[in-house]
Amino acid sequence: MDASLLTVQPTASEPIYRQIVEQLRRLIAGGQLTHGELLPSVRDVAGFHAINPMTVSRAYGIAESEGLVERLRGKGMAVIATRKAAQSESHRLALLEPQLQALARHAHELELPAAPVLRRLTKLLGE
Amino acid sequence: MNAMPSETESTIAPLAVRGLVHSYEGSNALNGVDLALEPGSVLGLIGRNGAGKSTLIRIMLGLLEPMAGVATVFGEPALALGDEAKARIAYVPQQPEALAWLTAQQMLDFVGRFYPRWDKTFVRNTLERWQIQPNRLLAKLSPGERQRVDLIRALASQPELLVLDEPAAALDPVARRELLREVALRAGESGTTVLFSTHIVSDLERVASEVAFLHRGKLLMRCSVDETKERYARLWLPERLSSAAPAHSLSRRRHDNSSLSLVVELDERGRWPEAASLAGARVDALGLEDLFVEVAE
Repeated sequence: MDASLLTVQPTASEPIYRQIVEQLRRLIAGGQLTHGELLPSVRDVAGFHAINPMTVSRAYGIAESEGLVERLRGKGMAVIATRKAAQSESHRLALLEPQLQALARHAHELELPAAPVLRRLTKLLGE
Repeated sequence: MNAMPSETESTIAPLAVRGLVHSYEGSNALNGVDLALEPGSVLGLIGRNGAGKSTLIRIMLGLLEPMAGVATVFGEPALALGDEAKARIAYVPQQPEALAWLTAQQMLDFVGRFYPRWDKTFVRNTLERWQIQPNRLLAKLSPGERQRVDLIRALASQPELLVLDEPAAALDPVARRELLREVALRAGESGTTVLFSTHIVSDLERVASEVAFLHRGKLLMRCSVDETKERYARLWLPERLSSAAPAHSLSRRRHDNSSLSLVVELDERGRWPEAASLAGARVDALGLEDLFVEVAE
């Protein structure tokens, strides 16, 4: 995996370490990162995005404690979760929760009833 | 104030000030500032123009004597630093003026002799990348080029403590990103302690581990960048709910339509004030810049 695959938005209200963990979760859940694949080194990520290496270490540490990756001596961090084994549907759905809550809030602010929102969403999902 | 003999090198704050007070012609520049940097941390100092950032930095380094208060650098009194301590520090002022009669190359060759770990290769490469003609007189360079030369000078000395006053102003986006990369990697890998002031908050969000808000001569807030983003939010209450507003908030603003915006903080159990859960109330996450604008108003 290349450091440029991660995106970092320093001005977002979500801290950078959480942005990185979140992306790792999604990339692994979506199967773009597969078992055994090595994450870019802390230095590569910090250098590429011009961010503090401690922020990257913190993100990797959290990913490790969640069982997404493991530390291989002398090699770095390797992906251990695979799509089939660890990612049930409810687990993957949980990853969408923040976006779903934001959507619900916006719909609420616009005083839109659920039905038309759901119709549009169903269409977007192609079902 | 001298460092206690029992203190080990790693626990001495590279920079520390206590009770700083300073004023210029009757107007208060600093009004009781306490601040200490942990070794290896990157502290970003934010403040509006005239908030006292440069004054604070100059006092911290012993370049200016405060009217009251104490400043130490690596445990030594800032106003009486020895040569050894000075060799561990690099400071880039907002408008470098020293040695203007030399060319960039002459100045760097001259200054480099005073630093045991001077990195000549870095100087050569960076002069080229940052498009500085080494043979031009410093006095003939634009302010931006002048500051770039000074940044090269500071980084080439491989300091343990790097202090930058508004470093981003002189750099284009590519060079700025490069500077941030240098700062981030040196802090993370060589344990360099960094203090930099800026009003470009996104730069600070990339590399700083901590942020301090200086406003009207006082430190309004000092906390880790991540924690700042997680701990504070804007709570908006429509007029009918405004009586439910929590008594304690960092700022409070009433809008023309009588609705209310407050900056609120998570309590020790990680929850927003009760009013946030009322129907019609809204909690919005705040970026660092928004937070600063809210509390500095």
